[in-house]
Amino acid sequence: MDGQGTKHRILMVSDFFFPNFGGVESHIYYLSQCLLKLGHKVVVMTHAYGNRSGVRYVTNGLKVYYVPWRPFLMQNTLPTLSLTFPIVRTIIIREKISVVHGHQAFSTLCHEALMHARTMGYKVVFTDHSLYGFADAGSIHMNKVLQFTLADIDQAICVSHTSKENTVLRSGISPEKVFMVPNAVDTAMFTPSPKRLNCDEIVIVVVSRLVYRKGADLLVEVIPEVCRLFPKVHFIVGGDGPKRVRLEEMREKFSLQDRVEMLGAVPHAQVRSVLISGHIFLNSSLTEAFCIAILEAASCGLLTVSTRVGGVPEVLPDDMIVLAEPAPGDMVRAVKKAIDMLPGIDPQIMHLRMKELYSWDDVAKRTEIVYDRAMESPTTNLLDRLPRYLTCGSWAGKLFCLVMIINYLLWRLLEFLQPAVGIEEVPDIGPLHAHLGSRNDEAQEK
Amino acid sequence: MRSYMGQQEDGMSDGLYTYKHHRERGADIHTIFVKKSKFRILLSFIGTTFLLVSVCCALLSKDGLCLCSLWSISFASVIAKCLRCDPVKKESLVIMPTFGIQLEQHFWSGRVHRKFVPIGKILRPVLNEHVTPVSCYWSLALLVREEYELMLVFKSLNPPVKMLVPIWKALCAFVDSNTLGNSALPQST
Repeated sequence: MDGQGTKHRILMVSDFFFPNFGGVESHIYYLSQCLLKLGHKVVVMTHAYGNRSGVRYVTNGLKVYYVPWRPFLMQNTLPTLSLTFPIVRTIIIREKISVVHGHQAFSTLCHEALMHARTMGYKVVFTDHSLYGFADAGSIHMNKVLQFTLADIDQAICVSHTSKENTVLRSGISPEKVFMVPNAVDTAMFTPSPKRLNCDEIVIVVVSRLVYRKGADLLVEVIPEVCRLFPKVHFIVGGDGPKRVRLEEMREKFSLQDRVEMLGAVPHAQVRSVLISGHIFLNSSLTEAFCIAILEAASCGLLTVSTRVGGVPEVLPDDMIVLAEPAPGDMVRAVKKAIDMLPGIDPQIMHLRMKELYSWDDVAKRTEIVYDRAMESPTTNLLDRLPRYLTCGSWAGKLFCLVMIINYLLWRLLEFLQPAVGIEEVPDIGPLHAHLGSRNDEAQEK
Repeated sequence: MRSYMGQQEDGMSDGLYTYKHHRERGADIHTIFVKKSKFRILLSFIGTTFLLVSVCCALLSKDGLCLCSLWSISFASVIAKCLRCDPVKKESLVIMPTFGIQLEQHFWSGRVHRKFVPIGKILRPVLNEHVTPVSCYWSLALLVREEYELMLVFKSLNPPVKMLVPIWKALCAFVDSNTLGNSALPQST
């Protein structure tokens, strides 16, 4: 290994990828594109989305395996522990993978792929994109699963310092193994409006899934109060979800139909056009590890008002964001402060600053360092790895050890039934047709 | 991959599949043979034997047919049926210049299934990466005019890509040599 010069062959695994849209999906896509630019080989593995099944090539020859496993809950595949092993093993061998990179603690496919990769002796990296609690039943279960996955991992990545702290506390992983690599924004896609908006009528934009976690209930209380205090303020609410009904009811109750525009679900390609129609971006999330939406809004030149939760305070400089406690009164005060700050905000300057602060190329270079560090970690056999699982709890530790032993035996069985030499390796340059075509051209030239 | 790129072989073999290529009466014939699994044959005989023994025991026993006997007979019948089903012996692709191509499936029982695709309907042969819930392999398919789905050349067999490449090249040459094929889809340079 020659450190920085090493070119890796990376398998990105997550249940969340395009055509689904969200922070994790964008992160995987942009990171993969930048890693390809740096000369690494990147392959993405996810589950099938409707008719989108099999192998697809996206921009710059990024290869995506849409494995025909159907999601059963919140875009997650059914947890089977062992049934995904044959396909994970096949992809790893045929693509000559060196590092398996799993994304999102909530992804079943991610946890299973990392487990199988460790069984096969490959280096694994995990990125946590969310914050979780410690008290409710769902979080307790999730944290135990995370503890199992991170017990035997080479390196982990978190998107903010708050997220890192949360992950370390939840999983018991050594903090030295966890890197902080933030998200970024495609500033070329999110550019401000060429002409500056008139400040006579202030437009506050909300683009978010209308769910409890994103603070939709908070919006229901904040919007009427802001409209009462500031007659020249208008709201544009983009997004859909179970809490949309509450917002519609609020609009009816306070007769704000002419001041609150409900757009419904906004396709990702149209988010910019919604953002540039406003002056202020309002984020009311109750928990957030990073919040890419804030970056997109700031890149479009909007001043942000946000709840002071999770990793949000780390995202933007103080002069680009107004923070408030997740309480209606404090949120209204923050909106008032933002309105007062508006005359001093230049969207073009804000966009240029965002360009300097956040770039996916920088994220890729930092992730590359994590891969190099992972490759340097010693290769261990099953007996060396089992004690790590025993530390996960008196009962859970033994259960995890049993799972890993069964997984190891399954791997040996798969090696017997279909030896690795029998799995065909694929060419590295895009689809096979392009590869063969280029070969034919070379032969003709000679 | 690289070892076979420039080869013009008349045949090749690996553990399970054998590829043969020959010309006959102006037609270009590409055939993939599959070795019959000895393990499958053994299981088939065990299943059949188990079925006969179960039936004999049930008929000869003094107690008559009990639930256990019925279960064992039905279970053995299912095993025997599954294992004695007619598997494919070989699959062929017959390229008939100016006419089209014929896809053939030859079964161990001697039954043959043939399908003819006229040249005018073929847009392009494609080498596809086929993903199943548990595995991944290469498949050769045809883009056919007015058909929503790809037409697989080898429906039952999954030969390795080194056997599919020469067949794909032959199909490309066949489609490209035809003027209809050229006008139907512009060639990538």
